[in-house]
Amino acid sequence: MENRLIITKYSEQYYPPTPNNFTLFLRRSIFFQLIRFFILNYKIMKIVIKGHS
Amino acid sequence: MANIVVLGAGVAGHTAAAYLQKGLNKKEHKITVISPTPTYQWIPSNIWVGVGRMTPEEIKFDLRPLYNKWGIEFIQAKAQSFYPEGDEHINTGFVEVEYTNEENKGEKIKIAYDYLINATGPKLNFEATEGLIPGNGNIASVCTFGHASHAWELFQEKLDKMKNGENQIFVIGTGHPTATCQGAAFEYILNVDFEIKRRGLEKQAQVIWITNEYELGDFGMGGAFIPKGGFISNTKLFAESYFVERNITWIKRAGVKKLDDHTIYYENLDGEYLEQPYDFAMLIPGFAGHGFKAYDKTGKDISDKLFAPNGLMKVDADYTPKPFEEWTIKDWPETYQNPSYHNIFAPGIAFAPPHSISKPMTSKNGTPIFASAPRTGMPSGIMGKVTADNIINWIKTGNATMIHKASMGRMGAACIVSAGYGMRKGTAATMTVSPVVPDWEKFPQWGRDIKTTMGEPGLAGHWLKWLMHYMFLYKAKGLPFWWMIPE
Repeated sequence: MENRLIITKYSEQYYPPTPNNFTLFLRRSIFFQLIRFFILNYKIMKIVIKGHS
Repeated sequence: MANIVVLGAGVAGHTAAAYLQKGLNKKEHKITVISPTPTYQWIPSNIWVGVGRMTPEEIKFDLRPLYNKWGIEFIQAKAQSFYPEGDEHINTGFVEVEYTNEENKGEKIKIAYDYLINATGPKLNFEATEGLIPGNGNIASVCTFGHASHAWELFQEKLDKMKNGENQIFVIGTGHPTATCQGAAFEYILNVDFEIKRRGLEKQAQVIWITNEYELGDFGMGGAFIPKGGFISNTKLFAESYFVERNITWIKRAGVKKLDDHTIYYENLDGEYLEQPYDFAMLIPGFAGHGFKAYDKTGKDISDKLFAPNGLMKVDADYTPKPFEEWTIKDWPETYQNPSYHNIFAPGIAFAPPHSISKPMTSKNGTPIFASAPRTGMPSGIMGKVTADNIINWIKTGNATMIHKASMGRMGAACIVSAGYGMRKGTAATMTVSPVVPDWEKFPQWGRDIKTTMGEPGLAGHWLKWLMHYMFLYKAKGLPFWWMIPE
C-alpha cells in the first residue's frame, strides 16, 4: 500500500485495486500454491482438450 | 509418393513436420524442412534470457540430428519466391530458396513440392519504426534468443549504473502503432522490475510501460473478462493492479514513431506528439510478411493471389472489409488452406488474419493506433498439427476434404505471464481464455466462456511456466512419447 503514497492523486495509477497482505501471503504460500498448482493444471487441461477436439 | 515441404521450423512448422513424419511412411513420402537457421528455440523463455535467468543454450537446440533421425531432409535456406503452378521447365509447384549456410550462402535453388506448408512466421519489422534497432545504443529486444542475450548484457550495464547511484529509466512495451505481442513485453517489464527489486535498486529505477492498447490488459485480443473475488472484472483492472502493486507507471494509446539514443517519440490517440526519455528500451516491433513474391506458370506476378497487402499469406478466412460491429468468429480461418492453391497452407503467424481482434482506433491525425491480433505458441502449435493431420488424411485417402479444423474463434489458449523467476519467490499469472477470438453470438455477455476464462497470479504460475519450458522442449526434441504432450 505504500506505493499509493508516492502516486500522484487523481492520476490513472491512483485508482486500480492493490492486493492486501493476506492476498500477498496466499500468492506466496508454498502450501496454498501447491494446491493451486494442481487446480490450475486441471483448468488448463480442460482448455487444451477442448482445443484439440 | 508425396513430396511435402515445410517452410520454417518454429512452433507451427516444427509441430507440423513432427506429426507428418509420425503419420506418414517415410519410405513412401518425402518431408523437407527449410529454415534459415538450424536451431529450434522455445520463444516464451526468451524473457528469462533477457534478464539473465537462462542462457540461450537452455532454450534452443540443433534440429539437424533430430530431423536426420526422423528421416526429414533439412535445408538451411530462406524462401524467396513461390511458383504454385511451376514454370515452363518444372511442371509442379516449387519454391525458390536461398541458402543461408556458410558453404552455399547466397546460392539459389528450386524446391518442388506436392504439398507446401508456409510456417515462416512474421518478419520482425524493426525498420517500420525509425531508430528501433536492437543492439543499437540503449535499445534491446527479446524477439529472438540472440536479441534476448544482448538485452541481458544491456540490462547488466544499467544495473551496474544503478549500483553506482545513477538513476535509470526503463521503458518497455510496443514499438509500433499497430504492434502485437503485448504479452511478451508485459512479461519482460515484470521480470525487469522483479530483478531490479531483487537487487534492492528500485530507488534508482523508474519503470514505464508504453503501449498501443486502448486500455491496459487488451493484449491484442480485446481484453477478457475474468471471474475473481466475487466480481467479473476486465483484464484492464488485472493489468493495472499488477503495475500499481509494483509501482510501474504506464502510457497507453501510444503509437511509437521514432527513437533516438535517449528519447522515444510517440503520437497518442488524441493526436498529440509527445516524448518520453529513456535509458533502456525494449519495444516490440510491428510484424509483417516477409515480402515473398509469387508467379504463375508464365512468370506473371500473382503475389496478390497468395498474399494479403501486409505480406502474410491468404488462407480460408473471410477478408471482406466490414465494420468492427459486424465481425464474427466465422471470419477466422479453420484449415489455413490457401483459397487459390489448395495444396498450400499457412499455419501460425504466417497466415493473414481477416482483421484485428481489438477494435481498430485512429488518432485525430489519422494514424492507426491499436493492437494487432496475437497468435501465441499454443494456437500456433494446434494450427501446425491440424495442417499436418489434414495433409496426412489427403495423402492416405486421396480425399481433399479438410476434416480437421482449428479456428481461433473456437479454440482456447492458456498463457502463463511470468512476473519473476524463482522456485520460492517467483511469480506468474496463469491466464486462460476460451475462445481466443471473442464469440459474441455464443457468449453475448462476456464474449467468452466465463467458466473456463481465468487469471490468477501466484507462485504456482511460475512453477507452471517453468514446467512448460522443459515439457515443450522435451516434446520439440522428439524424446520418447513426445506426441502425448499436447500443443
